[in-house]
Amino acid sequence: MRMAGGERSGGGSTGAAECREHLFKILVIGELGVGKTSIIKRYVHQLFSQHYRATIGVDFALKVLNWDNNTLVRLQLWDIAGQERFGNMTRVYYKEAVGALVVFDVTRGSTFDAVCKWKHDLDSKVLLPNGNPVPAVLLANKCDQKKDGGQNLSSMDQFCKDGGFVGWFETSAKDNINIDEATRFLVEHILANLKTFPSEENDVGHIKLDPDPLKAESRSQCC
Amino acid sequence: MIAVWTPLQMEGVYQLPGESVKQIMEEAVTRKFVHEDSSHVIALCGVVEACLLHLLKRRAAGFLRTDKIAALFTKVGKTYDVAGEICKTVQDLLQQVDGRRPQPVGQESLKRQSSATSKAPSLTPQAIKHIWVRTALIERVLDKIVQYIVDNCSKYYEKEALLADPVCGPILACLLVGMCALEYTKLKTADHFWTDPSADELVQRHRIHGAHSRQDSPSKRPALGIRKRQSSGNSSEDRFAASARDYVESLHQNSRTHLLYGKNNVLVQPKDDMEAIPGYLSLHQSADSLTLKWTPNQLMNGTLGDSDLEKSIYWDYALTVPFSQVVCLHCHQRQKGGTLVLVSQDGIQRPPLHFPPGGHLLAFLSCLENGLLPRGQLEPPLWTQQGKGKVFPKLRKRNSHNRSVDLEEMPVAEMAADYVFRIIYPGHRHENITINYHHLAASRSASVDDDEEEEDKLHAMLSMICSRNLTDPKRMKEIGDMMETQGFRTGLLPWQLEPCSQGSSCLSCSTSSSPHDLPSGCSCIHDRTPLKMLCESMKRQIVSRAFYGWLAYCRHLSTVRVHLSALVNHTIIPPDKPTNAAEGLTQEGWSKYQKDKKNYKELELLRRVYYGGVQHEIRKEVWPFLLGHYKFGMTKKEMDRVDEEIMLQYKKVMAEWKACETIVKLREKESQPVTKFSSGSSIDSHVQRLIHRDSTISNDVFISVEEMDSVPQEPKVPAGPSLAGGSVDVPTVVAVLEQQPSVEFDSPDSGLPSSRNYSVTSGILSSIDDGQSVCFEDGMEEEGGTDPQRPGAEQAQKTKSLESDSSVTEESLCSLVESRAPAEETLSVCSAAYTIEMLDTVALNLHRIDKDVQRCDRNYWYFTAEKLEKLRNIMCSYVWEHLDVGYVQGMCDLLAPLMVILDKDELAYSCFSHLMKRMSQNFPNGGAMDTHFANMRSLIQILDSELFELMHQNGDYTHFYFCYRWFLLDFKRELLYEDVFAVWEVIWAAKHISSEHFVLFIALALVELYREIIRDNNMDFTDIIKFFNEMAEHHNAQEILQIARDLVCRVQTLIENK
Repeated sequence: MRMAGGERSGGGSTGAAECREHLFKILVIGELGVGKTSIIKRYVHQLFSQHYRATIGVDFALKVLNWDNNTLVRLQLWDIAGQERFGNMTRVYYKEAVGALVVFDVTRGSTFDAVCKWKHDLDSKVLLPNGNPVPAVLLANKCDQKKDGGQNLSSMDQFCKDGGFVGWFETSAKDNINIDEATRFLVEHILANLKTFPSEENDVGHIKLDPDPLKAESRSQCC
Repeated sequence: MIAVWTPLQMEGVYQLPGESVKQIMEEAVTRKFVHEDSSHVIALCGVVEACLLHLLKRRAAGFLRTDKIAALFTKVGKTYDVAGEICKTVQDLLQQVDGRRPQPVGQESLKRQSSATSKAPSLTPQAIKHIWVRTALIERVLDKIVQYIVDNCSKYYEKEALLADPVCGPILACLLVGMCALEYTKLKTADHFWTDPSADELVQRHRIHGAHSRQDSPSKRPALGIRKRQSSGNSSEDRFAASARDYVESLHQNSRTHLLYGKNNVLVQPKDDMEAIPGYLSLHQSADSLTLKWTPNQLMNGTLGDSDLEKSIYWDYALTVPFSQVVCLHCHQRQKGGTLVLVSQDGIQRPPLHFPPGGHLLAFLSCLENGLLPRGQLEPPLWTQQGKGKVFPKLRKRNSHNRSVDLEEMPVAEMAADYVFRIIYPGHRHENITINYHHLAASRSASVDDDEEEEDKLHAMLSMICSRNLTDPKRMKEIGDMMETQGFRTGLLPWQLEPCSQGSSCLSCSTSSSPHDLPSGCSCIHDRTPLKMLCESMKRQIVSRAFYGWLAYCRHLSTVRVHLSALVNHTIIPPDKPTNAAEGLTQEGWSKYQKDKKNYKELELLRRVYYGGVQHEIRKEVWPFLLGHYKFGMTKKEMDRVDEEIMLQYKKVMAEWKACETIVKLREKESQPVTKFSSGSSIDSHVQRLIHRDSTISNDVFISVEEMDSVPQEPKVPAGPSLAGGSVDVPTVVAVLEQQPSVEFDSPDSGLPSSRNYSVTSGILSSIDDGQSVCFEDGMEEEGGTDPQRPGAEQAQKTKSLESDSSVTEESLCSLVESRAPAEETLSVCSAAYTIEMLDTVALNLHRIDKDVQRCDRNYWYFTAEKLEKLRNIMCSYVWEHLDVGYVQGMCDLLAPLMVILDKDELAYSCFSHLMKRMSQNFPNGGAMDTHFANMRSLIQILDSELFELMHQNGDYTHFYFCYRWFLLDFKRELLYEDVFAVWEVIWAAKHISSEHFVLFIALALVELYREIIRDNNMDFTDIIKFFNEMAEHHNAQEILQIARDLVCRVQTLIENK
């Protein structure tokens, strides 16, 4: 029955010429129950459900972005369990990440306190090939449930600056607020990093993960 | 798989789109994306198109056109701008497609480009066929357009039309809403589409070729030391298995080859003395070659019998014919279908392929013709006839086109139904080939395979020689190429080399189509001599390497054996002695035991559990024994006593932590206004403090507490003198708690540890003001009849007044509180004094428990809100007794199955405590996880060195972190509930029967079960985590258990044979 699979013709390789494709590994970290899985599911499947289980270890999601006419961005989102205290294991999970979303729950101050712990953990375990820390965006999730008038904007900006975050967003996976914007913002930073440091090492990671776009192109021409 | 729909099936009209919708949704979930060219998308487009066409008004202008969908969209586009944009997009797309092709073509022939996929790179033929609906879908507006059409249906449709139906029309539109919310991608390019299949797809593919390779799976693998390594015989076996796998993979379209044609039930008579058998005929085009394959149905279905003989026979029958070897095709059309005979350069005829009736032969030829382009062509070419597509050329005169004299021998019949096509390559020397006709007919069925294999071998050998620099690599390479083109590419077989070594090898030089210019003199013979020498020296090297490898291997084995011996029990307890234990522990067997407890052997019961599990109905009774709540052989009285003790203990613990919880809740209530107040300004200072602190918040302690606590910190309260008093108190506490809405799961939980800085002190201060003791006593609560909420509210108000100076006084207040903490003990039960540190810990743990309990298996029928509450109680009780470890994520998962089976709080609590004796070691502080990983490493290294190597090479994931969840939860997340029960009881019984570390062998079994898939797809760490995450709850638990038991047995035997 599966042989039907063989009869599908899949010549649909992209026609556009110098099409660049990137694969970015992005970590989603933060305390347990802040809504990491929900954010990912909302972002990738446009769904919100009350029915996620606690993540144990790590989970995955893939998202493809039409960045612009000749750039494709594939995001590999690593959903890391909130109570992951198994030190060396997060080290392995973090490996080769190029960006991170650090999530806290605006309704629970303790999760905000833990943000620094996660950021510190991240920076101590993974760095970009050029030695800089990976760009991290801070997400203040569950903003739909926020009771008071909101964080003091300037203090949050200052906090991001001090804590080494490239920016912050108030998000809600439930009401789909700012999630696309936040990831977009992060990807912009990642791409900018690529441009600033088009180092050899930077590319190595990509060649391994990406199909060579040139090869794909020549294939479609020669047949 | 693809839903087929015809407009006639009114019944199924809106069921079938539903089917496609479901499949796409599934794909979206399992693959995390939907590819534009997914067959489900195509199927959906087809169905929607059919719905749209159903009873479309004929009179409506333009609907008489051939492409009615195009007309409909254009018409709708005039009044509805969303559709208008789609029209524009589609027209652009069509223009692009047209632009790519040399001659202008109409819509009609566009559709029939089925074989020329590769020439219109951006759209597949199916995509073009459904271009209107598909574009609208991918632009995510199809639902809107259909809704618009439904809303305005009177304009376009007859009354009886599907879309005019008041029910069906809107349903169709609604069904499409979900589809249009999905993200469609072509960004996973064609390459990824085929090379990055989901776990399901990988398993499915493996199942097909696995039929062959499985047989040499666990036992024949170069692995365990017991096996006398028959490497020589084995390697060819493995090779064969590998080639079978490649073969099946090659039948699928992939990045390198396009599938041009596929037809099932094409008959081939593989041997003279047997019936023709049906199989799958396919035509594959890669960059530089065109290959025909025919695979017997028996292999395709993967439904072969077990006998190796049978399998290998079918593999022999399979055909692979590169078209570079074929010079002409004979076609015979008969009533009962068409027959095709391929004739190769050496003049040998391939076994005839019988196509079923219905123009399949013609379709094949037309695909073939397209596939040969641009370099080759059919001579004579097929004719193109208006409206009918390709037809057989109308040739009155026999062989008039056939100038080659060699073909005179061909049995071409007089009837126009028989044709001979030659394959010619204009501009290539192939035309000059002299064909030697030996009418060997169909006797050599599968020889092509040998041929290719031979070629591969030689090639591999030569490249090896070159890479070793045994001689000038450049020169050798040339020779290699020459050898290849001379001896093999032209289709000479090994057996042909002997008789024609002088004469015909020269002939083959001259007939070679190789682009290399050959030296003028034929050098075939001279080149063989050095080759022979090279082979000899290679042989010697290989043998010596093999020997040293073996020696190192033996040494390594003996060290590891020592290590492994600790992992298993040394006595092998067989499944069949004294009786067959495969049927497990049945109700009958259990009642026998109950009647005769004294004489029944515990080991025998466990043996049955280990080999066959426990019958579901008696699990509730048996599990407490397996987990150690009861001991085997206990009398009814003794069991009752155990139950009673547990009951009392549980109640006591419940009372303790519930009391503490009340205080924690009180604190939280206090803290809320404060946090609100401080949220703006304090965050910075807050952060400043945190930023330099240690990373584990759970251990963060308010500094002032550390300095001065003289209060006993023991979380465990020494057992009170009167337990009876405890049991009296409990109901009241519960009653009080029930009034509190904060116990509900969805209560938003306030900042716990953060609140400690301010609110704690102020809250407690106010409670002092109220004259209450910090030391909470539920008895007092009961007597006073105070509603815990009211003082809370009062305190909150008071706190506000205190806020202004709270930051100044907090430390002093705190010390004040602490000094007054050890209050007098009036009642015996719950007179623990809680330090702030402890309250924080409890709060943190309660919060974590709540977070996890509320999302624990809520999809499983058992867990209603009521049961979740019970789950929480048990979990809190356990954690209360183990506050040093605290709650760690995953514990709920371990408790849940116990609750489902035991369905009794105290019993579940007791069994869970027993279970956690082993399991808590896996949690971060225990250290057992690292041991598991290390053991896995040793085991895989010994039992499956090949896989170990692969894991090591692909980014080295021999840390085995991908097994983390398996060990942490005893595979609870990997399996369905029913399977979790079965696996868990075997794990518990295994401790006494085979191995205390049975989980290791289950993990190993999981890896081994999918080892071919892991190996063949060259999985790295990411891939393997992804694979097993996707495979969760899709495993065959019984198969895994069996493999695991076998693996234990293998290790036991290994050690025994030391």
